[in-house]
Amino acid sequence: MYQYSAFDQRFVEERVEQYRDQTRRFLSGELSDDAFQQLRLRNGLYIQRLAPMLRIAVPYGLLSATQLRAIAAITRDYDRGYGHLSTRQNVQINWPELTDVPDILERLAEVQMHCIQTSGSCIRNVTTDQFAGVAEDEIVDARPYCEIIRQWSTYHPEFDWLPRKFKIAVNGAESDRAATHVHDIGIRVRRGDDGAPLFDFLVGGGLGRTPVIGSLIREGLPEEHLLSYLEAILRVYNRYGRRDNKYKARIKILVRAMTPETFRERVDAEWAHLKDGPSTLPATEVRRIRACFAPPAYEDLADQPALLARQRLQDPAFNTWMRHNVAPHKRAGYAVVTLSTKATGVPPGDVTDEQMDAVADWSERFGFGEVRISHEQNLVLPDVPQRDLRTLFDLAREAMLGQANAGLLTDMICCPGGDFCALANAKSIPVAEAIQRRFDDYDYLHDLGPLDINISGCMNACGHHHVGHIGILGVDKRGEEFYQISVGGNQAEDASLGRILGPSFGRAEVPDVVEKILDVYLERRFEGEAFLHTVRRIGIEPFKERVYSAENGRPRSSTQAVTRLSARDTQPRAARSARAG
Amino acid sequence: MLVRDGRIVADPWTLVEEEPARPGLIAPFDAWKRSPEGAGAWVDGDRAVEELVPEILEAPVVAVRFAAFADGRGLTLGALLRGRYGFRGELRAFGDVLADLTEYMHRSGFNAFVLPDRRQAEVAIACMARMSDHYQGSVREPLPAFRRVALGP
Repeated sequence: MYQYSAFDQRFVEERVEQYRDQTRRFLSGELSDDAFQQLRLRNGLYIQRLAPMLRIAVPYGLLSATQLRAIAAITRDYDRGYGHLSTRQNVQINWPELTDVPDILERLAEVQMHCIQTSGSCIRNVTTDQFAGVAEDEIVDARPYCEIIRQWSTYHPEFDWLPRKFKIAVNGAESDRAATHVHDIGIRVRRGDDGAPLFDFLVGGGLGRTPVIGSLIREGLPEEHLLSYLEAILRVYNRYGRRDNKYKARIKILVRAMTPETFRERVDAEWAHLKDGPSTLPATEVRRIRACFAPPAYEDLADQPALLARQRLQDPAFNTWMRHNVAPHKRAGYAVVTLSTKATGVPPGDVTDEQMDAVADWSERFGFGEVRISHEQNLVLPDVPQRDLRTLFDLAREAMLGQANAGLLTDMICCPGGDFCALANAKSIPVAEAIQRRFDDYDYLHDLGPLDINISGCMNACGHHHVGHIGILGVDKRGEEFYQISVGGNQAEDASLGRILGPSFGRAEVPDVVEKILDVYLERRFEGEAFLHTVRRIGIEPFKERVYSAENGRPRSSTQAVTRLSARDTQPRAARSARAG
Repeated sequence: MLVRDGRIVADPWTLVEEEPARPGLIAPFDAWKRSPEGAGAWVDGDRAVEELVPEILEAPVVAVRFAAFADGRGLTLGALLRGRYGFRGELRAFGDVLADLTEYMHRSGFNAFVLPDRRQAEVAIACMARMSDHYQGSVREPLPAFRRVALGP
């Protein structure tokens, strides 16, 4: 993985000192609340409903064992012994004292980490495929380009004070595991006929209250122009993006208002000035960065079909975990393992310090000391020898990280919601938990197959509900929490936005509604047909009919469920959930 | 309080909101265009640079108003005036200028900053000197670090 140069190290250290000075001036009354707010946001510090939240940048979701242990130690020393994995592959800690933040940043800098630009109206952490570098279907390793973009976007003189936050994702595999269709800029890397990498640019995708699939504005851009073309897009956005209304300030609104064609013309006109200028990427620079991502010292291993078949036959639990949480590796004899954080009763994405330390240990014992965070809020061990899978499974299960539900219904994406987030209309974590409890029958889950349920507590859509196969959105109706349900969203390469079924439901009804939707699917699916494909084939009407049918009445409102949820709300664990924002 | 080229200096100019341009005044761009002799021009940060050039390049001082400190349009305007169109006079930021953000302005081509008081002027000077280097190119230093510095792994 990327190792800081002396330049990088000095940069983050100076940034820490700069922030220490800003904090001091704020506390002495010299910096106003408004000014300090913007400055702290650019260092990842939110102050929300109950306490500050600090978002630690994990560039493109890649961590070393050392870095993960450092985060664990920080959560012990400055927080309450747990962190939260965000949908942007970052780690959030929940209870830092404002006065401690400069020291926390200093601790992070010691392990080549920072919180720069993890919030605020600037270019955020660049994200990619959590399997980059090891995926069997990889075309080009996206990580070096992510790092190049990270450096280019860090403390940019012109683009750190944009109309709104700006998110870039890069994907270099056949499957799109980086959700490039719903980013401000989604970049797809592929290879030209001569094998050289080429870049396609999707612009103006996004979720939030106006979900949009990005428009393709440039195909086949050669590598050397990557940064100058990004500059052209950002400059057009910085000049023309709306600043009068924060809900209309994202680039998707600009692209839509201008039309993608006109937007592309503006970008091209701007790029004509920048093309072949100083930002042109020399091949030597790409080589320098790529060298940091050279494959580790893999052993010459053979695939272990016989061993794994025997182990799977002996233990059905291991078998289902293998099926859902273990992905093929491009090296023979290795596998990619997803450690699911989605245990029932735990807010999705929450990880304790002990779990972090354990995962750091496993990454060294069963790999090369590297860990990934996926945007599905899980942890990934990228280089596990197949012979060790069984041992790892046992350890993971003991640590509550062995849930065999990666990609299944109970592997939900969920924002922190109204338990903490000041923006939320409604709680989201208790909804996730109620669904997890309802569907904790593993046979049923595995029969359902791949199913994304995404939950957002408000239309800012941190839980990406628009692209959930089933999307759940918290809405506020006269001070009460209700949930709007959509079906048919998808975040993969054939991305689509979900369609809303109709009027919203009370919280206690949600698990019933989900169950009815799944009943329709199970009745109507062809053999082997995934939920999403059934929805696409039969449309939303049958689902609508079932969930609103008079015969079934409104979904039963189980008193039991209500009681359980209220009890859950008072548990300390619920109060320890993180916020997004 | 004016900071110019890294130092607190007395301001020889007077900025006026409405009046016609006269020598010694920084007047609104449209007024300045009618009688540019001896005067400077000011514009809002969201003004399209294409409406200003080439005339504005002759002004001895161009002041860009930041309506809100977090509005980055003035940065792009400055970068285009100085970088693309080669404006050589004083490029001044005024309005809601936050000392901590003068570094961005400085890198985008501004060389003069109007701060609320002496203390903030001193903070701005310190802020501009705090970071010893940056990754990407800028008007101030057109070459990105990867073209200037042996970065190594």
